[in-house]
Amino acid sequence: MEEPFINETIDTSQLPKYEDVVLTPLHPSYFKIIIFNIGLVFAILAIAAGAGFYYIQELEPYRIIITIVYIVILLFTILMNVISFKNRGFAFRAHDVIYRSGAIATTTTIIPYNRVQHVAVHEGLLSRKLGLAAVEVFTAGGNSSDIQVPGIDKDQAEKIKYLLMGKINPQQDEQQL
Amino acid sequence: MNSNFSQPQRQSLIGVVVMFADTFQGTARALWPFLIVWIWKINEYNKLYIGLAVGGVVLLVALVAYLKYLNFTFFLDEQNEEFVVRKGILNKSRIAIPLDKIQQVNINQSFIQRLIGVHALEVDTAGSNGKEVSIRAIKESLAVSLKERLLEGAEDVVNEDIEDNADTPRTRQTANKPFIQISFLSLIKTGITSNYIRSFAVLLAFMITIFQNLEEFINVTGYDDSPLDDYINAEVLLKFISFIVGAIIFLTLIVNLVRTIVRYYNFRITKQQNGLLLSYGLLNTKNTIIRPEKVQVVTVGRNYFQKKFNLNDLKIRQASGNEANDKDQKKTAIEIPGCSESEKNVLLQFLLEKVPEKGVAVKPNFRKIIFESFKFLIIPIGIYFLIAFMVEPSVKEYMIFVPIYGLFAATLIYFAFRNSRLFVSDDFIIKQSGAWDVDNDYIAPHKIQTISLKQFFWQKGSDVGIVTLHTAGGTISFGLANFTKLNELVNYWLWQVETTDKHWM
Repeated sequence: MEEPFINETIDTSQLPKYEDVVLTPLHPSYFKIIIFNIGLVFAILAIAAGAGFYYIQELEPYRIIITIVYIVILLFTILMNVISFKNRGFAFRAHDVIYRSGAIATTTTIIPYNRVQHVAVHEGLLSRKLGLAAVEVFTAGGNSSDIQVPGIDKDQAEKIKYLLMGKINPQQDEQQL
Repeated sequence: MNSNFSQPQRQSLIGVVVMFADTFQGTARALWPFLIVWIWKINEYNKLYIGLAVGGVVLLVALVAYLKYLNFTFFLDEQNEEFVVRKGILNKSRIAIPLDKIQQVNINQSFIQRLIGVHALEVDTAGSNGKEVSIRAIKESLAVSLKERLLEGAEDVVNEDIEDNADTPRTRQTANKPFIQISFLSLIKTGITSNYIRSFAVLLAFMITIFQNLEEFINVTGYDDSPLDDYINAEVLLKFISFIVGAIIFLTLIVNLVRTIVRYYNFRITKQQNGLLLSYGLLNTKNTIIRPEKVQVVTVGRNYFQKKFNLNDLKIRQASGNEANDKDQKKTAIEIPGCSESEKNVLLQFLLEKVPEKGVAVKPNFRKIIFESFKFLIIPIGIYFLIAFMVEPSVKEYMIFVPIYGLFAATLIYFAFRNSRLFVSDDFIIKQSGAWDVDNDYIAPHKIQTISLKQFFWQKGSDVGIVTLHTAGGTISFGLANFTKLNELVNYWLWQVETTDKHWM
């Protein structure tokens, strides 16, 4: 089948703009999970430091420095996560999925549906309690090109999964490679 | 089809030799720490025992090799459309590969296999890595007909699926004549003109080591208060350094030359059922098939000398069944060295369906220079000074290398910036990069899997960023460049990917 020769000029400025899409922010409850994770790590660190202060006499002169460093790192981590949480967003368009993330560097990843290999829905222990799930979209482009959107309402995540499955299945039937 | 593969059969009997070599190699590799200790203490042991032990090991290896040979059978299951291999001495295993899952069949020949006149046949499948089957010793005629048979089975199924894909005509030539052959002269030219950057790095490392040893030597001989300054005057030092540099350049040239010739000797490219068959190698002959539909990224590289010699280095990255990372992808790229301009165009035409033309050029922003300088100049030199003045004062003696490194890095950064371009046309995205070796990466837009854009928060004001295109054969990044322009291109590529009916593989 010879393709008919079409060569009309495309006005690239008329194409839909990904950057104008209003992204859906992550579910507010997801922030609780972030805070919980930070809290867990820093609580363990605090316990370790406390034990160190108690049992190791040599640490005596460094107590204040360690405490200050601890607080600075804690504040910095929280700040980064707040920025990153506000930055994150996703959108499922008619033909592709957009996910934006990052605090210092903002990365926007776009996967067209006709390149999606499969979709997975993950649920952590805590996120199940909060009714949240993460949707992971895989392509053939390797690990760095896959996206994982956390903090989506469980029902919505399932819907998204079915939406994507519906988009990719007709293609996979004819592919069979 | 002169052979019947439906009955289970063994490999060539002489293949026991290959099995023996393989097993022996494996054993030696597993036991080398012990071997070294034994060789070290060889005089302490009775020669007779050593002889007996060696003889015993050789006998055992031979036995294992023979059992391996006895237990290895392969056949084609016509009913289930499967290629079945049985193997294993104690742990028996039966590997069945459905013919439609076969991606590639390679016929290779290592040095030992060449000596005894057999070939190895490797079957590559989609996905399921590590399950590939390799027949270690098979007669050439048998290998060729088996390969034909295997690929035929795969072909039939594939063709049912892509009937409408008529733009890859099936040219089934029985008497295949190589349509491109890389001459010995081209290989020599490639050998002496490639890998300069690597050679320079080796040279620098070598020089630093020499310098260090020289200093230690002088220290030991008692001139500790004046390490280099009055002992070696400028003339001697200059002569010495130029001698060393000359010797190393000569050596690396020879090494590069020998490596290129041994690896790519008698490089022939033949057209074959929907693909290109490459065969090359002096000691180990390799056969690889490239299928255009699997090709994701084609890289054409050349440096200044190669341009003068009319040489191009092609690297072809194909979609791999398993998800490999970018580094692995680069390693597994198939290289075609020493192509002339016209040969390059013929190959590109075949692999990409048309010779790509460079479209609208996108230039990087000048901030790229600042960014790169930060990465390769300010941070490394800063770390050096930090170490020199805070931690380890002895590294101050290498201060002389700081300006050399600085000049070298600055030159590379400048030329890398000057060469950095992204050419976008309707059919291709071409990324040009590199300081000395200028590479052009060719991607067809429908091979794109994912697009990602990255922008640091301080880059928002200046409206610059980096775009990365992910394909199944590796990624391509371009930046820093005008973000508005990149966004426009991304929207265009997305539109292209989302409206195309071409499949990426």
